[in-house]
Amino acid sequence: MAKDVWIIAEQRDGVLRKISFELASTARKLADELGEEVCAVLLGNGVTAGAKDLAKYGVDKIFVADDAIFAPYTTDAHSEAVAKLVKEKEPAIILLGASSQGKDLSSRLAGKLATGLATDCTDVKIAAGKMVAVRPVYAGKCFVEVQSATNPQLASLRPNVFPVVEKAGAGEVIATEIAIDPAQLKTKVLEVQKDASGRVDLTEALVIVSGGRGMGGPGGYAALEELAGILNATVGASRAAVDSGWRPQTDQVGQTGKVVSPNLYIACGISGAIQHLAGMSSSKYIVAINKDSEAPIFSKADYGIVEDLFKVIPELTKECKILMG
Amino acid sequence: MEQAKFYVGHEGRQIFWNVESFEALLFIFAAVAILIFGYGIYQRWQLWKAIGKPEVRNDKILQRLNLLLKYGFFQVKTWRQAYPGIMHGLIFFGFFILIFGTFFDSLEFHVTEPLGFIFLIGKFYLYFSLAMEIFGLAILVGIVMALYRRYITKPDFLGYKGENDNQPDDAIVLLLIGGIIITGFMLEALRITATMPPWEVWSFGGWWLAKAFAGMSEENVKMLHKIAWWTHSLLTFGFIGYIPYSRLLHIITSPANIFLASLQPKGYLEPIRDFETAESFGVGKLEDFTWKQIFDSDACTRCGRCQEGCPAYLSGKPLSPKKVIQDLKNYWLAKAKTVVAAQKAAAAGKEGAIDQAGLDKVLPGEVVDLHELWACTNCMYCMEHCPVLIEHIPKIIGMRQYKVLTEADFAPELQLTYRNMENNSNPWGMGAHTRADWAKELDVKILADDPNVEYLFYVGCSGSFDERGKKVAVSLSRILQAAGVSFGILGTEEGCCGDSAMRGGNEYLYQAMAQANIETMNGYGVKKIITMCPHGYNALKKDYPHFGGNFEVYHHTEIIADLLAKGKITLKKQLTGRFTYHDSCFLGRYNDIFTQPRTILQAVPGLELVEMERNRTKAFCCGAGGGRMWMEEDQGERINDMRTDQAIAAQADTVAVACPFCLTMLSDGIKDRQKEESMAALDIAEIVWSAMGMEEKE
Repeated sequence: MAKDVWIIAEQRDGVLRKISFELASTARKLADELGEEVCAVLLGNGVTAGAKDLAKYGVDKIFVADDAIFAPYTTDAHSEAVAKLVKEKEPAIILLGASSQGKDLSSRLAGKLATGLATDCTDVKIAAGKMVAVRPVYAGKCFVEVQSATNPQLASLRPNVFPVVEKAGAGEVIATEIAIDPAQLKTKVLEVQKDASGRVDLTEALVIVSGGRGMGGPGGYAALEELAGILNATVGASRAAVDSGWRPQTDQVGQTGKVVSPNLYIACGISGAIQHLAGMSSSKYIVAINKDSEAPIFSKADYGIVEDLFKVIPELTKECKILMG
Repeated sequence: MEQAKFYVGHEGRQIFWNVESFEALLFIFAAVAILIFGYGIYQRWQLWKAIGKPEVRNDKILQRLNLLLKYGFFQVKTWRQAYPGIMHGLIFFGFFILIFGTFFDSLEFHVTEPLGFIFLIGKFYLYFSLAMEIFGLAILVGIVMALYRRYITKPDFLGYKGENDNQPDDAIVLLLIGGIIITGFMLEALRITATMPPWEVWSFGGWWLAKAFAGMSEENVKMLHKIAWWTHSLLTFGFIGYIPYSRLLHIITSPANIFLASLQPKGYLEPIRDFETAESFGVGKLEDFTWKQIFDSDACTRCGRCQEGCPAYLSGKPLSPKKVIQDLKNYWLAKAKTVVAAQKAAAAGKEGAIDQAGLDKVLPGEVVDLHELWACTNCMYCMEHCPVLIEHIPKIIGMRQYKVLTEADFAPELQLTYRNMENNSNPWGMGAHTRADWAKELDVKILADDPNVEYLFYVGCSGSFDERGKKVAVSLSRILQAAGVSFGILGTEEGCCGDSAMRGGNEYLYQAMAQANIETMNGYGVKKIITMCPHGYNALKKDYPHFGGNFEVYHHTEIIADLLAKGKITLKKQLTGRFTYHDSCFLGRYNDIFTQPRTILQAVPGLELVEMERNRTKAFCCGAGGGRMWMEEDQGERINDMRTDQAIAAQADTVAVACPFCLTMLSDGIKDRQKEESMAALDIAEIVWSAMGMEEKE
């Protein structure tokens, strides 16, 4: 009989990612309603030491498979391993994060287990002993309640939505051996290139400070970097800046660059052509700084400052320093 | 004397003079040549039949014969380029006339003379001889021009990326023809030397060449004549036999391809009809093409006119339409040969004797490189200028459909664009509920409130969501209102036309959007539509009828030109400056709308209109078509920057456009070239509204 609520925890270089705690807290809430346990699956290399942290957020058992084959992440190794474990232990509900890794793993897992998957959920609850998931459709215009008719019930949760609640769980770390045949792995990670800035990736950033053609050259970005440092933000760029070679292509926000949805997007010297808007229009708040009052960005911005950005940014930076303490 | 039957006033010549004894042998060789030719054609026929889905291309015979006359005989497309046009014309018409020569000779020798009369006599014979002479020399001139171009000038379009693609066959064919003509003149010269009839001065070539043999003995002349005659005959039979095995095959395949051409309007695309039961979509393997799409590649003579204007090729991308067709052709030949061999083996009871598996390739990726496939902007320069009417674009789209719908393997930027179209019915993902916001202050009718309007103004995504595009929509609305045109918009009920999805290979998404639009439009009883975007124009006009959308569609330049002609609007305000008009591919090559935009611009007082070098059918694409607007351009030079350079070279300070894609691309190009202070891109609607001088009223 299937029981227990599982989470597939995520880690990078041995450190658990925030989504894992969100998953744990949510799983705890569901398990409490069902009167069942919360178990976590943690795959990686050298992750055993940090596994216990999950206990703080209500996890009762943590199945740790610590092996070099699980790092870096590959679809084949992780999906095969989790599927094996699931078939053995038969959980009722499995939650994953709808992060890029989670999206990759959850769909594969659903395929392997021949079970339904509700993706990118913004809420999950129990109704008559079964999980009901709530997910946005039509770009967030509607929400749909879905229930998977197959077992186990799978759902991937949207990051930064579910609260992290501290609640002590039994936290039993169980070292688990899962045999994976390396010959079965169709992909091999040759190299991992890390972004030197050490900042949050644009697509996951909560605050972005972005510079466009109005920056006039690469030098101006130093001021943006300073502001970003204070706001704990990531620096982005428009296509014009990238094409001119001032910023790397990985910084490009727009139709053919990255699509971002931060809480706050500060657009400096960016005209706001539609191709750029396509990449950031779903930002919660948009602040535009541009000396051209006709710039289209002002029609989309929540707050607009018509002024030379090189005058505004230092003032803004000064005030933010004070505000942030 | 042999010429007793011929004398001044009764000029003629003895057919088979000096070689009558060889007549029987000649016919044996002729028969052999024809058999070799026939067998070659038969083999080719089997290859043409071997692979490909059915397609009807033998309907409306009269229309097809008309095409054949226009493009096959009069070769109107070949003349578009002077040098190769003349070169080929000389050879083609030369042969055409010369074949009459042989035909008349045979007719007289075998039919009329035995019946008692001859017609190659007197004045007719003299003019006949002159014609043969002129056209024979014409061929020679053509051959020399061809050899010179291919081996001395070596233009890039006879090659690829700086390397020529000459094959031994190219030289053989030219030298063979050259040899036939030269030996022909020689044997004529020798006959003239021996017989010396005074009227043969009409055969001025042979007459002149005869001087070289003047001192020879009659015996030697006759001997040389026999040798020349045999050489000439064997070369000619060689030519005939060689046709199926060489590029001479185009003598058959090119006219055939013209006859079999599409009778549909330009830019026509066949929709995918079966989404329910089909297991694969688009063109993944060779068998997914129709037989005609494959036959196209056999008609290609590597003339390179397609490559010469292809914006992708010219901007440094690996795409060359010629290369795509040739790659397909080479793969087809290899595959078809094994298919035919396997069929023969099966018929002989030896199943499985031929290994076919090794030749099964996925077309997009393994036969046509993906960078080539996705670089196409669908501008139609290739199809417009191909003299044998090859259809390149449906093949490209077919392969893209396979990548998108079957393999789901396509650029991430396109993934975003399609998702935005699905969610918000526009490629940028702007909130669909804001679609009619541009018209809020304008007193424009919404069909939901009042469907009784003459025209639906189908605004399109740019006019609805792009701040820059909205200005065009506003200008056009004001013009229509000032002219008293009855029109309305669908507002938030309007959906994206789907053109970018269709040409980017996402046929499924396109059909979903098209059908939704058609249902809405038909629901309001829409009959006539005005568009501001040529892509929407083309889709609504040519592709929507497949799904029950039968409307009279006009582009705003057609409407404005009409309003001007009828005096419903007058242009009173002077707009000084040098304007150049950039022909939108989807308005120009796709729909032959070249004149109206120019007429409109010329009606603006004070406006100086200059043309860029590449204009009208030769216009250079802005780079945004074929879904490329939504994709990164990471190879070579930017197409829009190149076109901007062409506008700069024409010393224009304003580039007039009639398309929101072109408007975006050229505005960006002007910024890239840092000319924003001195140059601007404007839509014709904006120019007209400005010239109407009514803005002060606002």
